[in-house]
Amino acid sequence: MTFNKRSLVTLLILAIILGASYYFFATRGITYIWHWEKIPQMLFYHGAKSAQDAVPRLRMGILMIGFVLTLKISVFSIFFAIIIGTVVGICRLSDEPVTRGLSLAYVELIRNTPLLVQIYIIYFFVGSLLRLSAFAAGTAALSIFAGAYVGEIVRAGIQSIHKGQMEASRSLGMGYAQAMRYVVLPQAFKRIIPPLAGQFISLIKDSSLVSVIALADLMFQGQQAVARTYHAFEIYFTVAFLYLVMTFTLSMATQYIERRLAISD
Amino acid sequence: MIEARNVHKTFKTSDRREVKALVDFSTRIEKGEVVVIIGPSGSGKSTFLRCLNRLEEIDSGEIIIDGINIYDKKVNINEVREEIGMVFQLFNLFPHKTVLENITLAQLVVRGRNKEEATEIARGLLRKVGILEKENVYPSQLSGGQQQRVAIARALAMHPKIMMFDEATSALDPEMIGEVLDVMKTLAREGMTMVVVTHEMGFAREVSDRVVFMDEGQIVEEGTAEHFFTNPTHERTKLFLSQIL
Repeated sequence: MTFNKRSLVTLLILAIILGASYYFFATRGITYIWHWEKIPQMLFYHGAKSAQDAVPRLRMGILMIGFVLTLKISVFSIFFAIIIGTVVGICRLSDEPVTRGLSLAYVELIRNTPLLVQIYIIYFFVGSLLRLSAFAAGTAALSIFAGAYVGEIVRAGIQSIHKGQMEASRSLGMGYAQAMRYVVLPQAFKRIIPPLAGQFISLIKDSSLVSVIALADLMFQGQQAVARTYHAFEIYFTVAFLYLVMTFTLSMATQYIERRLAISD
Repeated sequence: MIEARNVHKTFKTSDRREVKALVDFSTRIEKGEVVVIIGPSGSGKSTFLRCLNRLEEIDSGEIIIDGINIYDKKVNINEVREEIGMVFQLFNLFPHKTVLENITLAQLVVRGRNKEEATEIARGLLRKVGILEKENVYPSQLSGGQQQRVAIARALAMHPKIMMFDEATSALDPEMIGEVLDVMKTLAREGMTMVVVTHEMGFAREVSDRVVFMDEGQIVEEGTAEHFFTNPTHERTKLFLSQIL
């Protein structure tokens, strides 16, 4: 385990150095003048915000504000995607043809249309009907999108559990729901952590699409900052790095959970 | 205690052939009786067990347990199953739970016992099956024989009126069969009503009240172990016994 972690970190550092040096030498050809000194204030700065809010204190810069929004929308979406996915995964295996059919229709419809279109539909159509905020619409779109994928992962997870587990639970007098809750799902979830982690990493990155409904997420704020300062390389590298911080943390967290759950193996 | 009347059960195979597992099957099992069911593979013996707690649905006929027709739509099958313990060939312990948790789970969520009570019952049963010291380990750390003994304790913790054993020793290494059979023998001597599908003829001879020989979904011959092993009447029975003894 320690060997894996160390080699992973080494690989990451190597990749960063290689990438950085490539871009350094590449940009020399186009005489790009780096302005990395402009980046820290886009993360945090000390000072007044506006005439109305003139008290000088430590404030979040434009990229950090975007980072927080992306983090928020990702966390909410992951939470709801797990709930939707679990329900859909169970429905996909139902004996009831209607339940099974509806859940399959949901999965196919969502997986086979672009997320961008779904975001537009949910924001402009459903959102206007229900008076959803952009944040709520964005979260809903991402949750529904990821929920379809999670549903299939959960279904596969449940199917991978030996049917003897369900039979043993039922033979002890547990109902279907109890057997699912206490016996099958805990084992299934343990098994599907790796594909779930991949799905949620995708979700964090896909969340950049919500900038199309004027949500000031990390990508949106990055574009704004570039438009204002023209420091495209520095800003986009920083944006990429901030996404990496989120996704890498998620990877590490899931690996930790996986190790914790491995004690019964 | 258990009465099966004219039970028919057909399976559909993946290539849509029909396989008759039980054909007009009828039998009675009295309270406290230890019945051993033997027969070649595919003879329907496991299917019969699984029908007794409705892990399978039957095509026609009825099965009455303790006065309840368990295939009646109004019957809450979960309540029936609480009274029937089942032990599986592959143990089917819950791998994500410790030995103690395996035995307490159904007590807590089905019987509604509190944690102290459930733990006490579990410990008592672990002592009975001889592995009290393993209460905090996970099933994967146990040998097959130990796992099966935990599975028996798990079923007994519900205080069932009937215990069913579906080839409980068939997946075990030979040196572990004895420890599981010993637990089963103790249970039989304590007066538990038992339905046992097994290939262990020693067990049948030693503790069974009745041996039932099945083939092609029907009872070919039944009687005491004594009758069975000394002078079976049917050719099919003689052939089977000559193959396994």
